[in-house]
Amino acid sequence: MKPRLTYQPGTSFLHTMHPLVKLAWLLFLTVAAFAVPSPWLVLGIAGLTLALFPLCGLRLGGLRGLRLLAGTALLLALLQVLFQRQGAELFRLGPLAPTTGGLSAGAYVGGRFLAVVLCSYLFVLTTDPADLAYALMRAGLPYRFGFALVTALRLVTVFEQEGQTVYRAQLARGVQYDVRSPRRLLTLARQFLLPLLISALGKVDGLAVSMEGRCFGKYPTRTFMKEAPFTRFDGLAAGLLLLAAAATVTYLVVV
Amino acid sequence: MISIRDLSYRFPGRTVEALREINLEIAPGEFVVVSGPSGCGKSTLALALTGALFRQYDGEARGTVHVDGLDTRACPLYDVADVVGLVQQNPESQFCTLTVQDEVAFGLENRRMPPAEMAPRIAWALQIVGAAHLVDRPLAALSGGEKQKVAIAAVMAAKPKVLVFDEPTSNLDPSATAEIFDTIAHIRAKAAITVIVIEHKLHHLLRFGPRLVRMAAGRIVADGAAQAADGASPWAGRPAAPRPVPGGPPLVQVEGLHVGHNGRPVLRDLSVQIHSGEFVAVMGDNGTGKSTFLLALLGLLKPAQGRVAVAGQDTRRTPASRLARQTAFVFQNPDHQLFADSVWGEAAFAPRNLGLLDAGTTQWLRDALARGGLAGREEEHPHRLSYGEKRRLNMVSVLGIRPRLLLLDEILIGQDPANAALLMDMVAAEVQQGGAAVMVTHDPDVVRAYASRVLFFAGGAIAIDAPPADAFPALAAAGRRPYLPVDWPAEEAPR
Repeated sequence: MKPRLTYQPGTSFLHTMHPLVKLAWLLFLTVAAFAVPSPWLVLGIAGLTLALFPLCGLRLGGLRGLRLLAGTALLLALLQVLFQRQGAELFRLGPLAPTTGGLSAGAYVGGRFLAVVLCSYLFVLTTDPADLAYALMRAGLPYRFGFALVTALRLVTVFEQEGQTVYRAQLARGVQYDVRSPRRLLTLARQFLLPLLISALGKVDGLAVSMEGRCFGKYPTRTFMKEAPFTRFDGLAAGLLLLAAAATVTYLVVV
Repeated sequence: MISIRDLSYRFPGRTVEALREINLEIAPGEFVVVSGPSGCGKSTLALALTGALFRQYDGEARGTVHVDGLDTRACPLYDVADVVGLVQQNPESQFCTLTVQDEVAFGLENRRMPPAEMAPRIAWALQIVGAAHLVDRPLAALSGGEKQKVAIAAVMAAKPKVLVFDEPTSNLDPSATAEIFDTIAHIRAKAAITVIVIEHKLHHLLRFGPRLVRMAAGRIVADGAAQAADGASPWAGRPAAPRPVPGGPPLVQVEGLHVGHNGRPVLRDLSVQIHSGEFVAVMGDNGTGKSTFLLALLGLLKPAQGRVAVAGQDTRRTPASRLARQTAFVFQNPDHQLFADSVWGEAAFAPRNLGLLDAGTTQWLRDALARGGLAGREEEHPHRLSYGEKRRLNMVSVLGIRPRLLLLDEILIGQDPANAALLMDMVAAEVQQGGAAVMVTHDPDVVRAYASRVLFFAGGAIAIDAPPADAFPALAAAGRRPYLPVDWPAEEAPR
């Protein structure tokens, strides 16, 4: 079974990079993929990101949703190639007449999609979400919001397991997941979600007692046990980011 | 330390009071056990001590609760939290973070303790519960017993004066249960602290020489030093259920079964046969494959290798929906298996899905609801029932298909002795009528009273397969004391 699209522990340079520096790089590359007018630069971002996967110990072939990602990028590119009429005609095949403009637009749109999604993949796969939440809280995010994220992360796996149990309990009592009509779909959804909702409400009660029983919310701020050291490498990565951002802005102004 | 005067409490939307005129004085350092049937108000009393009852629910309260001089009805919850720590039934429900260290640090961070002071406090809290070696582990990687120890450490880190445990072992296997009670003993020895334990398993607690407070229907009905007789098994003295002679061809055939769960191998090369008329108790530590075994018998997990056949139907080739016509499964948590909008809808749920709801089944279900104490409540919503009633409804619902094989996964968790006896009698009646039951349970006294055979799992394989009369001596010889009946004398263990 392919691993889920969640954090994969590792020791690569991206795994150990400060989560906020990594987040800043993700935001920069996402904005850059939309801002730079050159399809080759966008494809360059996508290619560079792709090259980072093996460097971080991540096997591309082992990623869930990779086929869907590649297929969608290809489809987006193909639509531009087939229907974009700007530029010189390359050849004609019946009603289809791909142009240089269409080819460029296809590379741009498909590359932009690939760049943004691959960057996000890389960020998710190399960042412990709890580390990110704690880093954001240390950086000033109100801790109530930060812990909303931490709690959600914890409960996702709990509800995943409970959902599996409910599904099995339904199969064991003869429920057949045959969707013959919207009404049947609604009935199935209700029968599946009701036990989960009841369970969730119970958990919220227990969690609230546990959190307030340990003084959550007593003060507007809190301390943090774990340090999030900002290493020399993080400084270098942040410096490079600033240079890259400056170069991009200059390029955009000049071009 | 604790003074409760004339406390009564009614939850919003309820007509019956959960607590009625409670009066209780507890001195510093006392060890108090609170016991009573399900729904008698024990957990509500625990919430009253922490003050959470008066903040989280908009109910109607009378009387006073003082802990270390603080009025828990009036004081901010945070002030009470500095004095009282509550450990709940299920550690999963009280964790706020993802790692052991973060969890134990959580309360200290909220109190704005400087990081330099936190490290030794965390080390102390983990050490006192015997979990210092877990400090760097993610919570998801811990066993049930380890999780409960971390939950205790997380509360202990604040050094409360009163520690309240609300059925802390209800989700644990006997080995982990024994460990948690040892942990409580250690805390008592190392920290001057008042301990209140809400618990059914009184025999584990007698060694503390506790004061025993018994509750029923929201009232305190007895209060005094616990006696040896209080630790007796509720099953002691009950006539053993009749064991029919198993016969005919095997109902269940398992041959060389290898099966995994959540991506990891669990059962390895397991072979067993079960006949009609057998009541098989499946025991063993959590994580040894007991629930996986049940899921494989209903085809909800398919064999990676080997074969499982129930009534001649191979689970690899038969969909679970067809296997469900003769095999019923009751899961651990009643709430996970209530799907309909009414008690009657729930009772008839499986027969209706399987096309078996004829006049005979309808009458059988009505009779079964009456036997389960649910007559006249057919139109109520199942989630309005008490925990024990929900479990009885689960049982009626699966028995409505008249299964040949009954699979039961720890159905007695959270059930008081009276309700447990009602459930077990329902199962025994099915076996009497020619069915077979396979039940995962952690209660050796139930096994002795009802089972005809014990399968003891260890490391994904069956380590002991014998009638209870032979299985218990074998478990005693293997040093598995927590798996022996309450009154099992240590000297009976063969050398």
